[in-house]
Amino acid sequence: MIRLTIDGQEVTVPEGTMIVDAAARLGVDVPVYCYHQALGPLGACRMCLVQVEKMPKLVTGCTTAVTEGMVVHTKGGAVEKGRKGVLEFLLINHPLDCPVCDKGGECYLQDYTFEYGPGRGRFQEPKIQKVKNGPINDLVLIDQERCVLCQRCVRFMGDYVGEEQLLLEGRGVETVVTTVDHQPATSQFTGNVIDLCPVGALLSAPYYHKGRPWNIDRHSTVCPHCPVGCSSLATTRESHIIRLEGRPVPDRDWGWLCDRGRFGYDFGYHADRIADSWVKERATSAAQATRDVAEWMQQTNAQYGPGSIGFVMGGQFTAEEAHLIKKFAHDVAQSDNVAVMRNVRGYLPAALNGTFQDLTEADTVVFVGVDPYEAVPVVHLKLRDRLRHFSQLKVLGVGPRRLTRDTMPGRDYLVASQDEAVFFARALAAAAKDGPGVQTLVDSVRDYVLPVSDADIEAFGQALLDAEHLSLLWDGENAAMAEVLAVLAGLREKPTAVLPTFGPVNWRGYEQAGIDPRYDNVEELLNKTRTGEIRMLVLWGADLTRDLPDRQLAEQALAKADYVVSAQVVPPLDMPYIDALLPVATWGEVEGTYVNMEGRLSIGAAGVQPPGQARPTRTYVANWGRLFRQDFGLDDEWDPFDSAQGDLISRAGNNHGPAQAVPRPGTRDASQEWTIIEGDWVMENGMPSEILEPRETEFVARVSPEDAARLGIGEHGGYVEAQTAGGTVMIGVQADPAIVERTLWIPRGSRHDWAQHLEGLVKLTRPEEVPSV
Amino acid sequence: MKPEWNQWAREFKEQYPGANSALMPLLHRIQAEEGWLSDETIHDVATLFDLPESYVESVASFYSLFFRNQVGKKVVHVCVGLSCALAGSDRLMENLEHRLGIKEGQTTADGEYTLLEAECLAACNQAPVVQVNLRYFEGLDPERPDVLLESSKSPEEEVKP
Repeated sequence: MIRLTIDGQEVTVPEGTMIVDAAARLGVDVPVYCYHQALGPLGACRMCLVQVEKMPKLVTGCTTAVTEGMVVHTKGGAVEKGRKGVLEFLLINHPLDCPVCDKGGECYLQDYTFEYGPGRGRFQEPKIQKVKNGPINDLVLIDQERCVLCQRCVRFMGDYVGEEQLLLEGRGVETVVTTVDHQPATSQFTGNVIDLCPVGALLSAPYYHKGRPWNIDRHSTVCPHCPVGCSSLATTRESHIIRLEGRPVPDRDWGWLCDRGRFGYDFGYHADRIADSWVKERATSAAQATRDVAEWMQQTNAQYGPGSIGFVMGGQFTAEEAHLIKKFAHDVAQSDNVAVMRNVRGYLPAALNGTFQDLTEADTVVFVGVDPYEAVPVVHLKLRDRLRHFSQLKVLGVGPRRLTRDTMPGRDYLVASQDEAVFFARALAAAAKDGPGVQTLVDSVRDYVLPVSDADIEAFGQALLDAEHLSLLWDGENAAMAEVLAVLAGLREKPTAVLPTFGPVNWRGYEQAGIDPRYDNVEELLNKTRTGEIRMLVLWGADLTRDLPDRQLAEQALAKADYVVSAQVVPPLDMPYIDALLPVATWGEVEGTYVNMEGRLSIGAAGVQPPGQARPTRTYVANWGRLFRQDFGLDDEWDPFDSAQGDLISRAGNNHGPAQAVPRPGTRDASQEWTIIEGDWVMENGMPSEILEPRETEFVARVSPEDAARLGIGEHGGYVEAQTAGGTVMIGVQADPAIVERTLWIPRGSRHDWAQHLEGLVKLTRPEEVPSV
Repeated sequence: MKPEWNQWAREFKEQYPGANSALMPLLHRIQAEEGWLSDETIHDVATLFDLPESYVESVASFYSLFFRNQVGKKVVHVCVGLSCALAGSDRLMENLEHRLGIKEGQTTADGEYTLLEAECLAACNQAPVVQVNLRYFEGLDPERPDVLLESSKSPEEEVKP
């Protein structure tokens, strides 16, 4: 630790700390443009000039590391003169168009000029004119005249994200930030440069001229698009969310967002949003729909007794809403058949659930079936951050496709989804055959044939055991992995953390509210519906035909139920089966708690009105309670933070019983030429967005480049004919080097109708005539 | 990509500690042969050195003597620094433009001449100064640009970058 004095106050900081950060500890603000803690020092803008005693000239506080006994002055004549000079230079070619600038009022160039700058410049020559509001891509604009060339954006995209799509072009006053070959930047992290830009150069295209700081409100919230639950700020104006920004949390989160999250905030007022109540395919009033549903529930209960109504929670509801549904089901509808909608069969006990801190400390990371870049993009950035600090980070992928990539290099072990647990079990058996539970685990798969050599299997097992700090990301596809992970954690005496990447986004929140989120639970509920034990289904955000892996079960249950009530934000694929479709308030319209994949509780604020007849869950259950003439105590004392340690859910309990054998996977039908695999892709999570339309593609399925060439698919994708058990469908496909040959990857829960009809895929063929797109 | 570029890239890589430092010599070498650096060249050099394309573009665009557009056989740089401006470089530029029938930044239709501005060429005592293919012509009379064009006809005197 180093002790130094800043403005007469003594402070002790770790070695290697820069003066600006040491000053920040004391609450002393040193102005900076180019410096950002996540990106490291650069010294390009010269804004952070400070005086250090015994140094002949002013020094930049962002590139000067502290030394023992250093005496720093951030105020005083010399520093003030220095800052004034820097600002005068920065403003020489600045257009001073603050009145029409989106960043006006949120701009460090304004703030620092006001605080430290000269009242007027002395430069009288004409200003250099450059591109105004040119595109970085469809979502980000650049005003090159306003740029101060701090390089935050260039360094973020290049060094941090590893996708070098921005650059400085030219020299001196002619220098501009632009894209490679002047082509649109395609990275899914480009939106972050808007937050990073300290001035008005990089702007959000959908927010362009939409609001000024004095006519907007900002609400602290959580992004609802994937289980990462990024901390963010929603900007609202006239009851519309018109912008989402990252919200850094000191010492924990840089506030990065992916473009899906940053720009996908418009589903609440998208044309597809359900704003009317529908009963038996006819629009009706919200009050009538509520009465009808209550009547059906009363009827069902009267006729078939308690437990005849099933409730399934899906969507993006808050933990509090899940609690209300559960409470209503139990107290009023007399049913404990309440489940969480699941699209994969895996479940992770909280005891094994790691946090993002585990990613920043890991020396080995294993992706089990999941490509974080696509499923949970900001986790990819967190791992990039780790890689910057720890270049030896070992990255291993286990799954039916390549899961590592150029920006996250590592080793892939290609095994079918159904073999993932076998692969792990055998790896553990090879590396630690006497370990507790290992022999039981591997008992029925000892001679199961894997497409990986024994040496590789053992090496993988050794890597799992040798890791000092092991973090695993798991997509939940292979349910037997839960068993393996528990044994693995027991074997290792060093930190072992698992981060589940599956949804629904707030499933942990629903679990906290007392609903069993395991697949078995929802499966049992639907089986009971199929057999007629449950007569009515209330689907709260759940879309069975879209999400349930067992599509047949979903369809049979829906067809069998006397009544299907579905509360949704956008039209579900269940539509043909639905008796009452209820418009419901969603993210941004209701305040409540979200629990993300690291088990952290955060509050999503309410900032806007739900459109049309859409009403909060609370209103529905309160009205139904009234119609049942039953006061069921809406205001009980349940609080999701009750079981939390700080803002993390409790990891206690879930004691693992004795190990159980990994079940032997069924043999694959060798006559099937193609394998279909599924993966989470945040772009295809089902929430519509007009803003993101330029980023959307019809060609959401993927095949290997070799297969794509055979099928005649061009660079941006194309249609192919898929011959399936049920006939021929046209599917949109593109090439992806991560996919292995004879494999068709489709995004899990895709809203493309054809994605639901690929069962029994026989082959893909080039269509006779490619329909124009 | 020309086959010999690979060889040059290997040679420069051996001469310098890293790809970053070997970049400029290779760009010079390629420009000496090709006359300029096209988008494809930038892409190829990036591939040769395993550098991001954005980095190569940043370097190439930073230096005014790397040409990102096709130039004529003779590149005329007219100094527009302070001393030369006082000595009539703007008039000289006008006369050259008139004489060649092009504007600053352009190349003659026959591909002979490219006319460019240069910041201070550090020969202020001999202002106004012009470079033709990097060879200095000093103490010029702004009204007599022909001197410059005629005397630069002997190619063996030219200095290659």
